[in-house]
Amino acid sequence: MAMNYGGWAGKVLWVNLTTSEIWTEPTEKYLDYLGGSGIGYKILWDHHVDGQLGTDPENVIVYSIGPLTGSGVICSGRMTVTSRSPATPGHLITDGHVGGHIGPEFKYAGYDALAVIGKANSPVWIRIEDDKVSIESATAIWGKGTFDSNAELTKLMGQDAQVFSIGQAGENLVPMSGFMTPGGHAAGGHGAVMGSKNLKGVGVHGTGTCTIKASRDEMRALDDHILGIIGSNNNNVVPSTPQSWAEYYSSGSRWKARDEIKWGAADEPVELGEVAWNERNRIGYRCSMAEMYVGVEYTNKWLKRMGGCHACPIRCYCEMKVPELKSRFKFKSEYITNTCGGFIWGNYLMPTTAGTEQYALTATAGAYLRDDYGIFSGYGLTHHIFKDMKTADLFKHLLSAEEFADVPWEQWDNNEPEFLVDLYKRVAFPDSYPHENALGRMMGDPVSYIDIWKLDGTNPAIDNWNIYAESNVHLFNRSMRHALHHASECASQVGTLINVIFNRDPMCHSHINVVNGGLPYDILAEVCAEKFGEGAFDPVKWYTPINQGKVNFAKWCVVKNVLHDSLTICNWVFPLIISPDKEKNYRGDSSIEAQMYSLVTGDKVTEEELDIMAERTVQLHRAFTALEMNSNDLRRDHDVLSDWVYDIDPDKNFGDQGTIKMDRDDIQKALGMFYEAWGWDSETGIPTRATLEKFGLGYAADKLAAKGLLPG
Amino acid sequence: MITRRGMLKGSMGVAVGTVYSGTLVSFLTGCGSDNNDNGNGEVVVMPGGLMVVNPILCVGCRRCEAACGWNHEGDCGPTIARVKVAHNMNYGPHGVQSNYYEQRGESGDFTLVPQTCHQCNVCMEVCPQKAISINEKTGAREVDESLCVGCGYCADKCPQQTIKVVRSKMKSVKCDLCQGEPNCAQVCTTGAIKFYTWEEAEEALEIYNNYTGLVG
Repeated sequence: MAMNYGGWAGKVLWVNLTTSEIWTEPTEKYLDYLGGSGIGYKILWDHHVDGQLGTDPENVIVYSIGPLTGSGVICSGRMTVTSRSPATPGHLITDGHVGGHIGPEFKYAGYDALAVIGKANSPVWIRIEDDKVSIESATAIWGKGTFDSNAELTKLMGQDAQVFSIGQAGENLVPMSGFMTPGGHAAGGHGAVMGSKNLKGVGVHGTGTCTIKASRDEMRALDDHILGIIGSNNNNVVPSTPQSWAEYYSSGSRWKARDEIKWGAADEPVELGEVAWNERNRIGYRCSMAEMYVGVEYTNKWLKRMGGCHACPIRCYCEMKVPELKSRFKFKSEYITNTCGGFIWGNYLMPTTAGTEQYALTATAGAYLRDDYGIFSGYGLTHHIFKDMKTADLFKHLLSAEEFADVPWEQWDNNEPEFLVDLYKRVAFPDSYPHENALGRMMGDPVSYIDIWKLDGTNPAIDNWNIYAESNVHLFNRSMRHALHHASECASQVGTLINVIFNRDPMCHSHINVVNGGLPYDILAEVCAEKFGEGAFDPVKWYTPINQGKVNFAKWCVVKNVLHDSLTICNWVFPLIISPDKEKNYRGDSSIEAQMYSLVTGDKVTEEELDIMAERTVQLHRAFTALEMNSNDLRRDHDVLSDWVYDIDPDKNFGDQGTIKMDRDDIQKALGMFYEAWGWDSETGIPTRATLEKFGLGYAADKLAAKGLLPG
Repeated sequence: MITRRGMLKGSMGVAVGTVYSGTLVSFLTGCGSDNNDNGNGEVVVMPGGLMVVNPILCVGCRRCEAACGWNHEGDCGPTIARVKVAHNMNYGPHGVQSNYYEQRGESGDFTLVPQTCHQCNVCMEVCPQKAISINEKTGAREVDESLCVGCGYCADKCPQQTIKVVRSKMKSVKCDLCQGEPNCAQVCTTGAIKFYTWEEAEEALEIYNNYTGLVG
């Protein structure tokens, strides 16, 4: 490669499935955008077509990594997928994120991104072995779930390969679908994009390396520095129970290792005991958070070990042996691994009680089915919708009599996890029923069904039930119809603003990795005040009016989020501005990303300089949103919240202790301040020409101006 | 067949060329003890020891691979790493089987079986260049890159499949125990990979070898 940097592989691989052309272009032209989502957004911008759908052949899907991917620096095993998403209104651009080991394998094969355009005549998969790239028939695996598909692709490539594939949901163009890698790693929202291209999957095997400019000693010194700061998943820096080494604890912490927890399904059960923050060679036991999904009893029965992504010491994946998956559900495997939502969503849908056997089985059987079918839930949105509508007994008014009679409601009523076996099949195979299968279609395409079923309070058949008024549904951004993802329920206006500007649930944990850290409020508030300004962090459910500190905090979170998705490193752990080290006064180090980048690439940057590179992609994203929506007022057309956000807890006022209620006027003021912080028009929320040019995005300003969308 | 006590006795104050065969030999080379009747699978036991992974504890983060690459080649990647996690990671030591979901690996029973150099003599014996020799201090079999021509005989014959020829320099690379300070073990997040003296090796290898066959 011509570039004299470490980190990047140097090439972007292109595959046109319509023409079968395969070519590469230098990564150099994308370096201003770092990598990952930055490359993804730039490629999509360059190929923008007005009114294009995510499922149109000429829509490009980009799988991209960054300069840190595969370098071995901590938590650098991520990959970003960017495309127009059928799971959003108007098929706007979104990016999803997948861990595991597929991202580093792209680097070792010599590519910073794979961009796919066109549509194959018949099912295919893309085979990448270093410089050798081919389009192969996938006819033999079309129709299979992701588990079997990934196995077949690996069998064809050899066991050193890393692969991913869509399941039946993606094949059948279900908007709420994604792809899966071995080990339970998924990216959601673009399964149907792959399905529309007849692209079943991708296999990669690379024999090269990620080049690194720094010395071994420099890399190890930084590694050790990070290990002295990093917490558990979501950078929880205290244990969940009182422990001999810790000054503080927090029951919600994802630092679950303690005497009562073991890897009980291991061939030799592993008693965890306390895992202190400075035990470098035991950090992999620290998280062990399966009890969050199946309870303590079943953790000790089923948890075999923890797993996760390349180069991550935290290990948030819970790898479980659940005999009932075979014996009761007749699945062919009794093993399931996932984390967080991957286990949680089933229990959002069923009327289960935490700690029970049904709860544990719902978590694991649900994960198995969704992963194999390749079903996406939009951070649980579809599952919340179902439960709220079922509880309100609305389906009998919306489904045909034939379909209503076909659904085994008694299984849900009796709290039997088998209900999911039936329901997810309806989602993944929308056309395979003698009736309309509106229930399955709604679960696979809630964005459309809000209109089809008139769930916006205008359908008298369901007593004008209003999805935007239902706090239990969690639909947060009314315009984008996406779920809340760490918004006002835990982080005041900071979370709210973060949940406003993306086109899907934001997948941003920059704030959570601080505010949920587990330290006492006074310490966290002090850290946030130092970093962002006074009053940046309110106690949860006790919110004050918007202030500049909160705006600064929210902007910082979005920048770091996009930075991580571009480098690529894990935003479920980074950034690390708090630490478990009392000697450091529990402070972390927000410049770690810049230190990583400087060592790996040899391009020495400050934290501020690197953040500017990430902000460039945020600015492009915002301009892109205006372009795709053909909107000259994103405050009006995009940044709109559901009514429940303001109207929850009718007996309380905004600012009262004990409520997450937001205030309409306060949020409008917050949006204006947020826009100004980004250099956007304070009324319309669209980037100004001056701002776009400041970030080298004059071409975006020209495009918006030509469409009459540029402010001023 | 030797006993563990006999092996230990022999390993003390060892001289180059001390030859053993039997249980430890089969653990080291992956060959059954029956194969030793014709004199194959002999091993020279030296001071030092070897790296062994406990598959029950490995969590597949591959930090060992990264630290190995940083230390030896200055870069990162499974080809240059002397410890091999990725090869067996998703589908176990035998690759994709029809019942892959019952076999080892991330797609099976979650048992990971990383490969490490067992410091046997096979590579040294097959090298036509005599480029592999024993480091008297550590006991590691080390490649002299000034002699190696990258022919790949050692890689083909390595029982653990841990030697690779790196294309960029056309040299074989293998575990040298980091001159007594194995980087892989230093960064391991669970203590799954450890340096074992010959004294300890038999038990560790016995556990490891429980996971190298097909399940069922």
